[in-house]
This record gives sequence, C-alpha cells and structure tokens, in this order.
Amino acid sequence: MSQTVGSKPKPPGIFSLLKPYSGLVTLLILFALFSNSVNLWLPKIISHGIDGYFHNRFTQMHFDAGPTAIEFSLAVVFIFVFGFLQTIIQTYTSEKVARDLRARLSDKISRQNNLFIERVTPSKLLTNLTADVDSIKLFVSQALVSIVSSVFIIVGASILLLTINWKLALCVMSIIPIIGGTFFYVLKKVRALFIKSRGVIDWLNKVINESILGSALIRVINSQQLEFDKFLKANAEARDIGLSILRLFAGLIPVITFSASMATLSILALGGHFIINNTMSLGEFASFNLYLAQLIFPILIIGFMSNIIAQATASFQRINAVLDAPDTPAGGSITENLKGDIELKDIAITYGQKPALKQISFKVSAGSKIAVIGPTAAGKSQLLYLLTGLIKQDSGEVLFDGRNIDDYDSESFHSQVGFVFQDSIIFNISIRENIAFSDTVTDESLEKAIDTAELREFINGLPDKLSTVVSERGASLSGGQKQRIMLARALAIEPKILLLDDFTARVDSGTESKILANVQKNYPGLTLISVTQKIASVEHYDQIILMMQGEIVACGKHGELMKTSPEYVQIFNSQQSTSNYEV
Amino acid sequence: MKYNLNDLQANAPKSSTWSSLNKLLQLISHEKRNLLLATLAIVVNSTLSLLGPLIIGRTIDKYIFVPHKNYHGVLMNCALLLGMYLVALLTSYLQTILMGGVGQRMLFTLRNAIFNKLQLLPVGFFNQNKAGDLISRINNDTDKLNQFFSQSLMQFIGSIAVMLGAGIFLLSVNIKLGSATLIPAVLILIFTSLTSPWVKRKNARNLKSVGGMSGEIQESLNNFKVIIAFNRRDYFRKRFEEVNTQNYESAVGAGIANNSYVPVYALFSSFAQLIVLVYGIYLVSHGQLGPGVFAVSYFSYTNQFYNPLRQLAALWTSFQTAMAGWERIAQILALETDIVTIDKKVKELSPSLLEFRNVHFGYDDDREILHNINFKLERGKTYALVGPTGGGKTTTASLIARLYDPNNGMVLLNGKDIRTYQPVERTKKIGFILQEPFLFTGTVRENILYGNEQYISHTNEQLEQVILEANLGSLLAIFESGLDTNVISGGDSISLGQKQLIAFMRAVLRNPELLILDEATANIDTITEKLLSDILNKLPASTTRVIIAHRLNTIENADEIFFVNSGEVIRAGSFDHAMDMLLKGKRVS
Repeated sequence: MSQTVGSKPKPPGIFSLLKPYSGLVTLLILFALFSNSVNLWLPKIISHGIDGYFHNRFTQMHFDAGPTAIEFSLAVVFIFVFGFLQTIIQTYTSEKVARDLRARLSDKISRQNNLFIERVTPSKLLTNLTADVDSIKLFVSQALVSIVSSVFIIVGASILLLTINWKLALCVMSIIPIIGGTFFYVLKKVRALFIKSRGVIDWLNKVINESILGSALIRVINSQQLEFDKFLKANAEARDIGLSILRLFAGLIPVITFSASMATLSILALGGHFIINNTMSLGEFASFNLYLAQLIFPILIIGFMSNIIAQATASFQRINAVLDAPDTPAGGSITENLKGDIELKDIAITYGQKPALKQISFKVSAGSKIAVIGPTAAGKSQLLYLLTGLIKQDSGEVLFDGRNIDDYDSESFHSQVGFVFQDSIIFNISIRENIAFSDTVTDESLEKAIDTAELREFINGLPDKLSTVVSERGASLSGGQKQRIMLARALAIEPKILLLDDFTARVDSGTESKILANVQKNYPGLTLISVTQKIASVEHYDQIILMMQGEIVACGKHGELMKTSPEYVQIFNSQQSTSNYEV
Repeated sequence: MKYNLNDLQANAPKSSTWSSLNKLLQLISHEKRNLLLATLAIVVNSTLSLLGPLIIGRTIDKYIFVPHKNYHGVLMNCALLLGMYLVALLTSYLQTILMGGVGQRMLFTLRNAIFNKLQLLPVGFFNQNKAGDLISRINNDTDKLNQFFSQSLMQFIGSIAVMLGAGIFLLSVNIKLGSATLIPAVLILIFTSLTSPWVKRKNARNLKSVGGMSGEIQESLNNFKVIIAFNRRDYFRKRFEEVNTQNYESAVGAGIANNSYVPVYALFSSFAQLIVLVYGIYLVSHGQLGPGVFAVSYFSYTNQFYNPLRQLAALWTSFQTAMAGWERIAQILALETDIVTIDKKVKELSPSLLEFRNVHFGYDDDREILHNINFKLERGKTYALVGPTGGGKTTTASLIARLYDPNNGMVLLNGKDIRTYQPVERTKKIGFILQEPFLFTGTVRENILYGNEQYISHTNEQLEQVILEANLGSLLAIFESGLDTNVISGGDSISLGQKQLIAFMRAVLRNPELLILDEATANIDTITEKLLSDILNKLPASTTRVIIAHRLNTIENADEIFFVNSGEVIRAGSFDHAMDMLLKGKRVS
C-alpha cells in the first residue's frame, strides 16, 4: 500500500507549507503513532485472554481475568489520552496554518495596487481566502495524520498477522491490493467528476449572486421565472453530476465489502482447518477477525486522503500564485509637499484593442480650477484614475510639480490628493469612520469637511450622529448623501489637489454650488479637477478640457471654447435652455 | 416587515435538531416509494452482513471447537456464507443507489426551494441584508448541505442500519452479555445528548464568523480603489486581522468540539470489548455461551456496533453542520413576502393612470419617509419629480413600481388598487429605470432583451431593425461591437453611462405604459442625453413618463412637475413655478 502512496507525484510545495509548524506536526504524528500502536496491540491482549482462559480450562485451573482486564484498561486509557491530545493539536495546528495563510494572503493583497485586484477579480481572491484555505486546513487536520496512521496500521496489522499464522495472513492480505486497486480506479474517475461539479457549483453561485445584486431590476421586470429557469438548468446539471458520482460509489462499495467478506470466509475455512489441526488457537482465530476489521478502513482512508491532498495542492498553487505575485514597485521616495502643478505628456492607454486615452497632454498650474467634460465613455474617469495612480499609462508621463508621479512616495502622495469617486463607496462602519477614512484626519479637519460638504444638518438628524453605522452599499442613504459623504472623505485629508468624478450627477445644483463655494472658502489654494456634465457650473473655471473618445478635442476657457470649438458649443446649447435656472 | 437575517437569527427560538430534520424531510414526502425500497435493501443487506459472524461462531461451536471435529460441516457453512455474501453484493449496490438518489434529488429540491424563495422575496429583504453576507450564507450553507447529502448521507444511513442490527443481534444471541456490552453505548448517548447543543452552538458561531469574514473581504476588495486612494491599506489589514482572529478562535472552538468525539467514542467502545472479554469468559465458564460465539460473534458484533458509532461521531458533526446550515436556510424559507397580490374586486373611481391616495410610507416602522402623499398621473403626459437629495423621490418611484407597499393609503393603477394586479400584468405596464443600473454577465443583446419575450427569437439583424424603429439606433452605436459587446456584471469594462444606456434601451423596448426614469441619465453626457430625451418624446402618445432628475434640462418638457421634499410631494405646476420652489426649498434645506 505504501508503494501506491509513494508513486503518487509528490505535490510540489504543499508540505513546505508545514515547515514553520514542524514542531507541532511532529508532535501530532508522534501522538497518532503512540495511540495507533497500542491500538494494534488490543486484539493481541484479547487473544491472550481467550487462550489463557481455554488453556486453563483444559488444564482444570482457575483463570483469573484480572491481569488481562487491567492490561487492557491501561492500554485503552493510554489510547484515549494520546487520541485526545492529538485531536487538540490537530485542530490547533490546522487552524493556525489557516489563520497564518489568510494573514499572509491579506497582507500580500493589501500591498498590491488596484490593477492587480481588478485583474485577479475580488471574487477569485475571496475564494483564495476562504475555500482554498479551507481545503488546506483539511489537509493539515485530516490528511497528514490519517495517512501516516493508516500506513502504520496496514503495515503493523500485516506484520502481526504474519507472525500469528503466515499462510492465513497472506490469504487475508491479498484483499489489500484488490480493494486498493478498485478504489483508486473509481476515485480517479470520481475526481474528474468532482472538478466538473466544482464548475457547476461556480455556475450556480454566479446565478445566485446576480439574482441578489440585481434583485431590484428583477422585480421591476418581473423576471423571477427567468432567473429561476437559469438556476434550474444549473441545478439539474449539478444533480446529474451528483448522480454520476453516486453510481460510481454504488459500484465501489459492494466490491469492497465483498472482498472483506471473502477474507472472512477464508479465515473460517482455512482458520477452521488450522484449529482442527491444532496449529492455531481460538484466540488467534478471534484476533484474525479483529485485525481484519482494523485493516479495511485504513485502505479507504488513504484513498480519500489522496483526494484531499490533490485538492489541497491545487488550492495551494492558486494561493501561491497570489503570494508569488510581484510586489507593487516600491515607488519613489519624494515626500515633499505638493504645490499642485500637474502636467500630462502624451499619455496613451489601451485596453485590449480599444484605446481608452490617446495623446493626452495638458498642464494645470497650482491653485487653478479645471473642468473635464465630454460624452459618455470619453475617457474622463480614466484620466482621473491616472492622476491618482490607480491605473498606469502605456506611454507618456504624468508629472506633479515637474516630477514623475512614480517618484513620489505613494503614501505621502495619496495623503495630498483627494478623490471623489463616481460610484458611491460607503463602508459598513460609522459615518465618522467613513469620512475620516484616512487615519491622519484630525477632528478639526473632520468638522471642516463636514461643513464644507453641507452634511452638518443631515448628520445631526441621525439617531447616533456621527457614530451612526451605515449599512453596506449605503442602502439607507440617498444617492446625494452618499456623494457628499464621499466628498467629505476626500476633503478630510486636507488635500492639495481635489479630483471630482461627476460629483454633480447626484447632488442637486443648489447644494452643489453651495458646496463648491464652501470648498473655495475653506480650502484656498486647492487645485481642482472636476469631471462633470454641466457647463454652467464650470463656466468660470480656469480651463475646460473637452474630451471625446479618449482624445482632447478642445481646451481653454469658456469664452475661447465658445468661439473655437463647435463640439463645445453643441454641448453648451444642449444645456442652454435650462441653464438660466441653475443657481 | 423585518427581513434582517442576523436579527432574526438572534431572536429565533432554539429548535432541536430533530424538528429541523423533520422540516427537511417534508421536502421529500414524494419520494416515499424510493425510500421504502431503499429501506428494504438496507434491512436485507444489514441482516445478511450481520448473520455472518453468528454463523461463523456457531460453526466453531458445532464443528471446530468440539471433541468431534467436522470439517465437512465447516465447508457447508462456508458455502452458505458465500451465497449470502453474493446476495449482499446486490443489496448493498441497491441500498447505495436508491438512498443516494433520494439524497441528490433532495438537495436539488432544496436548492430550488431556496432560489425560488429568493425570487419571491421583495426588494426590502435585499436592502436589509448585506449582499456579501447573503451570498456567502446561501453559497456556504447550501454547500454544507451538499457535502452532507453527496458524501455523508449514505455512510450515515448505512452506519445506523448496521449499528442497529448489531445491537439487535447482541441482545438476541445472549441477553445478559448483550445488554452488558451495550452499557457503554448508553453512556455515549448520554454524553452526546449532553454535549450536542454545545457543539451545535460552537458550529453555528463558527459559520456566522465565516459569513462575517467573507462579507468583510468582499466589501474591502470591491472597494479597493478607495483603500488605495486614501492610504488605508492598513485599514484592510486591520479589519481583516480582526475577522481573521475572530474566525480562528471560533474555528478552534468548533474544531475541538467536533473532533473530541472521536477519542471519547473510541474509549467507550474499547470498554465494551473489555466487557465482552471478561463477562464473556465468565458466561462461557458457566456454560451459558459457546466459545466460538463468544470469541468471534460477540467481538464482531461489538465492532460492528461501535465502529459505525465512531464513524457516526464524525458523521454526526457533519450532520449537525448540515443542520446548522439548513436552519439558516430554513430561516430564509420561512420568510414571506409582504408584497402579495390581493383579491379585491371593488373598482375605485379614478380615471387616472396612476394615483397616490393618502399614502404613508417608511422603510422601518419608526421612521416615516413619505407623509400623506396624494397625486395623480394622467395617460400620455410627462411628469417630473424634482427636489433636493434625500427628499423621497426614489422612494415615491419605488412605490409606483410596487417595490414596496404603502404603510397606509393606497396606490391605484388604472383605478384599481395596485395590489390587485398580478405581477406579470403590473410589470408590463410599469417600466422603471433604476438609479443604479444592473447588468448581467453576457452580451449587450442579452441585457437589452433581459426578461423581454417579444424579441427573444429575433436575429441580430431583426433586432437591430427593431432598435432602429424605436429610435434607439444611435445609442447602440456607442457600443464597439454593437449587440455582441460583452459585459461583465459588476465589472468596469464599460462605463456607468454605458450601463445606463443599456438599462434605458432595456426599459424602452419593453414598451411600458408608464416609464419611470430615476436619475437614469445622471452619468450620461448632455449630447447623448438630448438623444435620450428625443427618444422619450417619440414614445407612443399614450406612454406616461415619470422623470426624476437634478439636471433641469431633462425635465423642461414635463407637462407637470412635482416637488418632492421632506417626505411631501407638492404639485408645482409650471416649470418656472417649480424652479422657484426648488430654489426656495433649497434655501430651506
């Protein structure tokens, strides 16, 4: 049996995971071997007891069961103590490995840039942190000890059987390869099905996830039946794979029990013969039956565990792919305060075939106000992402105060650039923590940010004021409230540069203009770059950049653009009819 | 209606494993025939496998361990055994395939039941629960059930059958030795029933912390750009370390609770062997028991009784984990939607397409959002809802689309209580473009036609024709590969504005009588927006439009404007008047 295990290709790396825990693992295996070796001795004690009794009976002597009973009890208590210790160490070790692995993963993830997360996708990372770690946990807690114990029991029991009666022993042992062989054959087939079923489960989960995230739409369209049909298809597939696996096992189990029965039969036929010939005692006969019972289970365990090892290896490789990912380049070391000059030189970004930004160049001088307008998918948000270093250009340069963005220490850089994202990102923590999201925010900055974003009244109306916890995705807040919290979050770090991505979309224009006036007053000298749809609110800006399809179409002050850019005039006119009502 | 599952869980009365099992079994009441056959196979199979040791013991006592040995008799019994084993080969196959089949179909039914329930629950349910938590709850808990039904159920039932059979044989062959052998089992039973609530609690706590952890991971990873832009990598680390430690502690607790059964059971079963040995010898010496039955049959039965018991310890915890998962699922299954179709024939007198009559509403009981709202929407007109953020515009729209029901008062559609309409009919009449557009992973085509049976069999060319006729051609042109452009749910592959365009096309192609746009164009540039407004104007004359917007140019064509602020909807009349109110209202707020 041990050869079968040995011939399996050694899973690369998975055992290396255990190195830091070698003390615990050694202890674990040691305890398991202690209890198992005593366990192997139990049938011997019973056999001696039986033989002792019958021997005494034939010699008409009184048999005292006491010593056997004491010997047996001691052995049993020994097994219990070590078994229990093994259990505790087993749980402790596996959870420790899991916790440390999760911590390593999260530490690694936390040091990656946004591109990495987007590329690997959050859901894959979630699987790495949960399901993959769980399968490694299972490997540590079950597979290791079980395989060592099983091999030990199979070898030990075989040796003991051989010493009792080698002929009968060989006969009984012949079932080991039969059961082992069938089992591995079936398991190989099952494994392929397991992989398939994992895919179907992913499919099921995808349908469930989308039906939860899109629940409002589904109810508006009344497409519950449609979703259910999608689910039914995936679910039926899952059931069919389940039934295929079942059929394989249904064939396997009878083969195993029948082989074991044949062993029992040969013990009776041959063993009976040996007892009749007086070459074997009744106690030995009984112990053969007991060893047979001990022998079958470990064979199956090894099979099951090889499966767990295979799964854990796959999981470990996936986890390693994340752990081995190159670290984000450390970036520069400049920690000087920014003045606020920004320059973009010939920036180009391409996603796949599609250019997102082409030949973008412009300059912004410190303290000025810049607007970026343009149609949907013009690349406006990309531009802002670029300016915060969330994405990287394929060619060209981004300069702050004449120095490359990559030369800045990222922490110091981010603490001076405030970014209000277009989508509302509210964390499931208190409003205070949502706004003072960066840990360097002082109370004073927090209060100023709240006042600037016109949130004071709203917050005062909340039951726990600033300590009110907002639920995930901010379901309890309106779109405008979320946007204003995001603005306050960006202002609270006292930025030198503020980037607004379509901030005006969800905030009514009255509040908007009040907020912008507040910003002007409370944050003098701030460089502002605002992506917006509304010309009216940016007419007086120092520079307006009009973008279309990833290119800068026109650039200049409002008055100039009205003279030089037909596209700008078109946009202006489309808003004109109502702009006189804007405050 | 309270839909928060964590609160519900905290308040739920503790139910026993058996009552939850009972609820579970009700799901497979239609499988009676298969269950019966499976039970039959199990009984025959267990009986056969248990007769073996007895026959062997008797063979020894009759033919081997006696003065007049008879090897022929031994061989005769061997032949008998061989016959039995062959029959058992068949029954053991049947047992697995029948019982396992029931398990698989039960899992199938159960998954369908959960998903079906999710579809039946109203929007309120999804707003009151964290999406990440909900997803993890459903995925993890069904997976726990999956593991049990696919892997452990067969062993579970097989073990119970063999154990019961062995118990019966132990008692019937020699009642004295049999009952003595079973004493440790009684102790095990007491021990288990005393500790099982504790184990269950530990496992439930662990499951909950797993849910909390994946919720935390999801929230952080999905919002990673904020974490980077605000230098809060440490926030991610800290929050994660917290949940990680918490999970570690609860998992160690659950693990030790689960695993400690194994050595305890082993101890008890060894003592059973000791009892057989000592008491058996006593009985043999008094001639009350044959030496073969003692040395082979009783040790075999003790093994066959206690070995499954040991496995049952492991299986029992898997069963309990499954039951804990099932209980959490049952909580969802027990929820009832509060948005039900009522049967009321009385026709209210209202000629309007839609009317709000004394409507009061709040998301929870203690905070009313809308106070006594009254307004009417006429067929074919365009209405605008304006007002400051947080004033109740989206809430009003949600009530029109019956995502929620009013706490008080009534919403009338075509003069009938909106609650009397079948959902199919209602959703056909009312289109609602949500503030946050949602796309399914797939193509633009699939998303535009989502839930739209009318054009489902159209070829791309035919569909493009339909789109052109609906004046939507210029919108489709924005997507690089047209209808076949791939979109990923929740991905950033296309912009928010583009998502809104898809949602717009989706709603227009459904051709509703009443179309609500909830800031549905907020992230679309003004040129494209102009296109949208042209499209809206070209909708059939009978279509009523309700537009919610901040940007005023989108509403200048409105026939009537409602000003929504502090939970009140006020008819503002003309555009200029509305402007006045808006400006004044803003100063007030």
